[in-house]
Amino acid sequence: MNGTTARRGLTSGCNRIVGPHDRIVWRKAIPIADTDQLKHLLAQCSLGDRGAFEALYRSVSPRLHGVALRFMGRADLAEEVLQESFVRIWNNASRYQSHLSAPMTWMINITRNQAIDQLRKHRERPLSDLDAQMLVDDSPSVHDQLNSSRETTSLNRCLDRLEGMQRQSITIAYFEGLSCSELAEQLSAPLGSVKSWIRRGMERLRRCLES
Amino acid sequence: MNYQTPSLRRALAADYAIGLMPPTACRRFEQLLLEDPQLRAELAQWQDSLMSLTELLAEQPVPDRVWRGVTARIDPQTPQLTLRQPFWSWLRVTIAACSLVAAVTLGVIYNRDEARYGATLRSADAQSWMSIEAHENYLKIRPLAFATIEKNRSLEMWVIPSDGKPVSLGVIPSGGDGKIKLGSAQKALIRESITLAISLEPEGGSPTGQPTGPVLYKGVLSVL
Repeated sequence: MNGTTARRGLTSGCNRIVGPHDRIVWRKAIPIADTDQLKHLLAQCSLGDRGAFEALYRSVSPRLHGVALRFMGRADLAEEVLQESFVRIWNNASRYQSHLSAPMTWMINITRNQAIDQLRKHRERPLSDLDAQMLVDDSPSVHDQLNSSRETTSLNRCLDRLEGMQRQSITIAYFEGLSCSELAEQLSAPLGSVKSWIRRGMERLRRCLES
Repeated sequence: MNYQTPSLRRALAADYAIGLMPPTACRRFEQLLLEDPQLRAELAQWQDSLMSLTELLAEQPVPDRVWRGVTARIDPQTPQLTLRQPFWSWLRVTIAACSLVAAVTLGVIYNRDEARYGATLRSADAQSWMSIEAHENYLKIRPLAFATIEKNRSLEMWVIPSDGKPVSLGVIPSGGDGKIKLGSAQKALIRESITLAISLEPEGGSPTGQPTGPVLYKGVLSVL
């Protein structure tokens, strides 16, 4: 990995102190319901059914938390993102279009947008002393994290088919919400190359997943 | 630009999905999305493929405080109650009791400014409340300790006349002595069995002249 540690002001082990009332619940999460159940729950949410919303939350929050944590790299920021994502899911449930996307895709997208908004805000703000102390990056890099949990899925097969730079630029663009020029700077590569890595990589990824 | 070329549409949707589109192009693309269901479908397919990047991420246990935070954001009635720790409940009851004693004492001392009507406004779940005294020229609100609302919000007091259309009595001051001064038109509305309500509004009060946020407290005035 080149250059990605430079801007990782947000990524670090978290020093948050867990208070007595904030104990982490380690009980086994409810397994993610199937697509039809999630669609049903979202439909109920759009009618204002709080019970359905809670069931949805119990079912998908561990997954979305994993996603938020991957984006933010810091537990406190990830929790904020997760919280705001669920507020949006509740407020926008009626806008979910089941014929367009799977419920999980829709909810992960909300989480991703929320996370990228926050990442951008934090990038624009100079680091505080506290943030600067947290600069030490002990979180797994994009590739380590993807590699560490590799399973034999069609996804892995597809990701493996991507060339190194294609995969790297796609994962950084996806998880860090960088603009093309920021991405080129981070990868120390010409803008044109970055664009073409991403375009070709995405085409290859989609064709492979669809096949 | 010709947005009808399939390959261009596909490429644009890909750029948009991964977030590489510059802001102005982004807005134009979003406009197109509204009118073009096929483009939406194209985008959805890209989003599906990209979502696969998150499939390898491990699930993370979620602390209870996140759910409490979510409910506090979507349902402003509950946060004070669910987040409040026993100490604060106890403190609030004590403050309420003390202020009641103070009110009675003051009432005895200054009996020339007697409250004419009183009301207890309750939250929807009847677990939190505040008392209102209607004097000749102002309303007195107790306790003020309830005001753990977000900084950019205000609580606004309404009187709901028999025709049902709320009339604002003003924003409840976040500090001070909890008084809302009444104008002559407002004074005319204050009488027995009229309903008072408090809604959550943007800072400074409702921009429309009618309640825009949820009603947090409600109660009926009676003669003291």
